[in-house]
Amino acid sequence: MVNFTVNGRGVDVDVDPETPLIFVLRNDLALNGPKLGCGSGLCGACTVHVDGRSVRACQMPIKALAPHSRITTLEGLGTPERPHPLQAAFIAEQALQCGYCTSGMIMEAAALLADKPSPTEAEIIQHMNANLCRCGCQQRVVRAIQRAAGKGV
Amino acid sequence: MTIDPHVNLSRRAFAIAAASAAAGLTIGFRLASAQAQGPQAGPPVPPMIKDNPQLDAWVRVAPDGTVTVMTGRVELGQGILTVMRQVAADELDVAPERLRLISGDTAQTPDEGITAGSLAVKLGSTALALACADARATLIGVAAKAWGIEPQAIKIEDGVMSGPGGQRMGYGEAAGKISLSRPVDVTAKRKNPADQRIIGTSYPRVDIPSKVFAQQIFIHDLRPEGMLFGAVARPPAYAARLLSADLVAIRAMPGVVEVVRDGSFLGVVARREEQAQAAANRLAKSARWDLGMPLFGGKSVFEHLVTANAETAVLHDVKAAAPPPVLTHKVEYRRNFQAHASIGASCALAQWQDGKLDVWSHTQGPFPLRVALGRALKVAHETIRVVHAQGSGCYGHNGADDVALDAALLARAVPGKPVRVHWSHEEEMAWEPWGPAMVTRLAGGVAADGVLTHWTHDVWSFPHSTRPIRGTGCNLRSAWYLAEPVPPSKVEDNPMPAGGAARNAIPIYAAANQTVTSHFLADMPIRTSALRTLGGYFNAVSAEMFIDELAALSGRDPVAFRLANTKDPRLVAVLRKALELSGWTPGVVAKRPLAPEMTGTGIGLSRYKNSDAYVAVVAQVSVDTKTGGVRVHKLWSATEAGRAVNPDGVLNQIEGGMAQSTSWTLREEGRWNNGIMQAVDYGSYPIQDFATTPAMTSVVIDRPELPSLGVGEGSQAPTGAAIANAIFAAAGGRRIREIPFTRERVLEALRS
Repeated sequence: MVNFTVNGRGVDVDVDPETPLIFVLRNDLALNGPKLGCGSGLCGACTVHVDGRSVRACQMPIKALAPHSRITTLEGLGTPERPHPLQAAFIAEQALQCGYCTSGMIMEAAALLADKPSPTEAEIIQHMNANLCRCGCQQRVVRAIQRAAGKGV
Repeated sequence: MTIDPHVNLSRRAFAIAAASAAAGLTIGFRLASAQAQGPQAGPPVPPMIKDNPQLDAWVRVAPDGTVTVMTGRVELGQGILTVMRQVAADELDVAPERLRLISGDTAQTPDEGITAGSLAVKLGSTALALACADARATLIGVAAKAWGIEPQAIKIEDGVMSGPGGQRMGYGEAAGKISLSRPVDVTAKRKNPADQRIIGTSYPRVDIPSKVFAQQIFIHDLRPEGMLFGAVARPPAYAARLLSADLVAIRAMPGVVEVVRDGSFLGVVARREEQAQAAANRLAKSARWDLGMPLFGGKSVFEHLVTANAETAVLHDVKAAAPPPVLTHKVEYRRNFQAHASIGASCALAQWQDGKLDVWSHTQGPFPLRVALGRALKVAHETIRVVHAQGSGCYGHNGADDVALDAALLARAVPGKPVRVHWSHEEEMAWEPWGPAMVTRLAGGVAADGVLTHWTHDVWSFPHSTRPIRGTGCNLRSAWYLAEPVPPSKVEDNPMPAGGAARNAIPIYAAANQTVTSHFLADMPIRTSALRTLGGYFNAVSAEMFIDELAALSGRDPVAFRLANTKDPRLVAVLRKALELSGWTPGVVAKRPLAPEMTGTGIGLSRYKNSDAYVAVVAQVSVDTKTGGVRVHKLWSATEAGRAVNPDGVLNQIEGGMAQSTSWTLREEGRWNNGIMQAVDYGSYPIQDFATTPAMTSVVIDRPELPSLGVGEGSQAPTGAAIANAIFAAAGGRRIREIPFTRERVLEALRS
């Protein structure tokens, strides 16, 4: 039995401790935010926060979670009524096409802004570089992060 | 319903018919079917209306005023459902937010084949718009009759009609007095561009909020009660056949519910996703396989392309008198296999219940997929329902259809249980259809005055379109491996002028003598199909590389040389706009000594399919002559595609295509061993990232008075061409002849 909190709610799961976190989040907890992408930690679609740090959920077996870890997914970042500035900025900049990478993009960017509220464009590009978008919306994503930066993240 | 073919179908005649019909009586029988019209009977019938003539196949109005519009087109990440909503809302005068929109469901929507080829706006939205215009006029006719006034006197606000005397009638009430179960009146008049309020605006994408707030929208997120997970145990080579497998050992693995073997098709159903994957992996590894013949007989693919038996056909041939050339030039270019490489791999959900099959799929064509599934499963396709649900970005014929069959085959072993199959990224890369490797050879001549005398374009290629139901066969991958296999039909190339392998091989330049010859290899040791633009990207890139070489060899500036050889004002307009944006400086590309870093600027110009978007791109690059590394610093583009229904949507498609094409052009190629693709992850098949995506500045030239042209595949070719020509300029006229322009190939060209 592993216990942790997801988006502020306590969770107990009784699965093989080797199970990657992504499957627990998506299939046991029915969360849509984290996406299964490449499954190898190379694309970033599964990015979530564990105790405030961005983590590739496909690469983290749940046994590697410290007891009482706090996990945040896109669902826990904001809601339509109270959007996180990045969520509002992604809408304002129409910063996606298919949206499959979007959850990972926003979570990775949220970790950046929590650490560095006003990053330069070069810092954004460097920080986001391991999050892939095949539709080619990189320029819009950078603009969305710039728009959200400095808005009390 | 009886049809009277003699009734004149003009809009006025229809209004009279509507006005004279008794309340509540169906008036459909008064109208000839769209197909019954003779060639002289008014405007041409849009192809999608011809296939789906009934008005209520496109639009329905409920008594409470709810308006439902239906499209056979599907959302592939391109924003098409937003465009459909804009078009329908504008033509109907209903608030876009209030429309119900149903897309891609074999039980509910029109059959529009596949959503591909940049045709969804051009064909799909045109048909929907016409149906909505017809419905609006019909409903106005009802109110006009009831109030005894002219239809022109009626105003509409969000589905509520009002007359000058304060009369009001909602669409729901009006619809109750007539029937929309009748053919679409193809003479219905769409709004003038000046009267459009939503078409032509950058209406925000309707699906973006749900994606940004993690609501359930993707097929990967469907989780019906009792769902199980399936996975396929793949052979180690495309030509492999199963010799033996220990199914008992796999059945004993944790969570495994069923193990399925049908010929060489092997798969598992398990309670958990990771359990299904683990069992399928072990099953594939522990099974014994006969590997079959090596790919391409062990030759290089380019050698195979130009030496294997091909169907050779002259597809375009123009002859005219021309002055003698003072310069001739002949070249060969190559492009390797390239992949869709979506972030999310293909996924499907299937459930058998009482002998009927329901499938949720991100296919480009729910109706064709239904037929293909029927063939593979050997059941009547009418017993199958396919419902579209969104997947990851599509970019062409990927594994979406194939995985639907996998899910159906595995779900058949657990009747009543929904089974979701989500391929691994490696599985997608190895087993989806790839964009074909191609070879082009171009030859041309230039007269003393700088005018082209002749232009020949030969293209060698594997198929670019092997959609699931070509012919009578089945192109769903697992169907080929069943005990009773259902093979695909022999593939024929798509006909010109849109073409497949030879798409965009017809020059956009006015050479007096022009010949396009295709050498088509229907047999494909590595399965190929549609990658965004089909042959269009590589043919147009080849042509644009070639025209720059002709310009350089004849000592002319590439812009001046193009302008001397094209008269198409729309091409010239986008070219001039892109040059203006980029601050282009004229100059002749000439040999120069190597420096450690060399910069250059290049142009790419194209009219997609010779029929759709006009796009010009300027690229600025630098080449590190020590490492061969190319950096694209900046891209500028200008696009004209007639009426831009959603200008920001056009920009998003154009710039996304520019980013994707930059990656195709510089980084992407398939590598394989004797039996199967080996470039199966983002390490061995890298795609664009933030650091390698150039800064982009783009404009869309809107032409509201002109029909909308396909735009989703418009920028790939001119972007690749602009980058190629910028490298050509940077490297002092040294040309790299094989895409992608890897460091090794750049260094080799620099040494020449």
